Amino acid sequence: MQPSRHKVFTQIMPYLSPAVACLLEGLNGEQLGTLEEIRLRRGQPLLLRLDQRELTLDKHGRVHSNLSAGYRITEEDMYRTLASISDNSLYAFEEDIRRGFITIPGGHRVGLAGQVVYQGQEVRTLRDFNGICLRVAREVKDVARSLLPVIFRGPGGGAVSTLLISPPRCGKTTLLRDLARLISTGGEWGPGHNVVIVDERSELAGCYRGVPQLDVGPRTDVLDACPKAVGMQMAVRSLSPGVVVTDEIGRSEDGEAIQECIHSGVVVLSSVHAASRAELENRPVMKELLALRAFAAGVVLSRRNGPGTIKEIIRWDGI
Amino acid sequence: MIWLKSVGIVLIVAGCGAWGLFAARSLERRADQLRELRVSLGFLEKEITFMFTPLSRALEKTAVFCQGPVASLFSESSRVLQLRQGVTVDEAWSAGLNYLQICSDLAKADILLLQSAAGQLGMSDAAEQKKLFQLLQEQLHFQEERARADIDSGKRVRAYGGFIMGAVVVLLLL
Repeated sequence: MQPSRHKVFTQIMPYLSPAVACLLEGLNGEQLGTLEEIRLRRGQPLLLRLDQRELTLDKHGRVHSNLSAGYRITEEDMYRTLASISDNSLYAFEEDIRRGFITIPGGHRVGLAGQVVYQGQEVRTLRDFNGICLRVAREVKDVARSLLPVIFRGPGGGAVSTLLISPPRCGKTTLLRDLARLISTGGEWGPGHNVVIVDERSELAGCYRGVPQLDVGPRTDVLDACPKAVGMQMAVRSLSPGVVVTDEIGRSEDGEAIQECIHSGVVVLSSVHAASRAELENRPVMKELLALRAFAAGVVLSRRNGPGTIKEIIRWDGI
Repeated sequence: MIWLKSVGIVLIVAGCGAWGLFAARSLERRADQLRELRVSLGFLEKEITFMFTPLSRALEKTAVFCQGPVASLFSESSRVLQLRQGVTVDEAWSAGLNYLQICSDLAKADILLLQSAAGQLGMSDAAEQKKLFQLLQEQLHFQEERARADIDSGKRVRAYGGFIMGAVVVLLLL
């Protein structure tokens, strides 16, 4: 699950302020390979999340675990990074800024923090940015192969609706993306299906200007930046999917849209935040969906042996 | 010897006269360039506020749309922006203005007016960008009107002034 050194150098560093990019050049291949997050907060030390560790770099580019030794992010660092990320064109990213993040080429997501400007009941924009969180997109091909026997009921059997269950940062999105790619491509588990990814937060396909930056398969359509419930309904009505893939369900309208998909014969693969089966079953929307047998299987994930570790497989269909 | 002196007189008067005529012509060119700038900024405004084209691409398209030295402002700014490396629009725009100042007939006040937009260009929402461009175009229109008003009087002064200065130099040398 590692981004290559080359990827970090070509896809991420050009978007950072020269001072910060220069510091990152001091990281070795192993450190760059496990880089998950870069956090810039005005006046605070530069923070890097590498695998399970949180590190900082001092002004000479030396790695420290003691944050007080870290290079302090200046206002100029924030401005230059933001200028590069937005191509000096904040107006062209108004919608993205309203949602709180911008996706850059390569599918890497840049979360933004600042003063939220409200208009009526809606966020109009963000301004006076004080925090930038750059999450490195991880595309790990074939990582979801081990889940295919759970989703496909034996040779020639159809896919069943499946839920990936885990706390944050356990690899749900990476697994869902790879599942979409495998199901779209087809293989010994069955022929390729039409897949629609409803990608509300542009994380699954990592679209940049509408084009998926990550491999999601040849029979996959992406509804980028589309609210999940609306996207699932649009997909069923107009894209005749065999499988709909969406991330992090939880709202009541998501539940209704999933029911509509399932009643239309469409398989739903989705993920949900919960640490265990018991926690999942306590959530009202999930409780209702499980009572209706909307999902046939569930996979509980953890980080015990790294992101994507399968902790438990649940069969609600009794197979 | 007299013929050498005559040639010298003709060369001095013609040289100063040509300089005067060139300076007079630059007044007209300045007004034309201010107009070209205003129209080009209108084009850039539409690219930004209607098409939401990213700034580097919008500047590149504007450079193709406009003519003469004014195009160099947009092409150079776009080129610098496309280098990335943490370059801000302020720096890219200033690089373009340096280029423009060298190859155009614009006055320092015109360049300073354009420089005032550098900090805000691109780095706000479309509504704010629209306001910025409208203000800039209004100010350029005002500068253009003043430049046109200066043409008649200034053109004559510079054109005749060149020849008169040539004649004065000749008289002093004699």
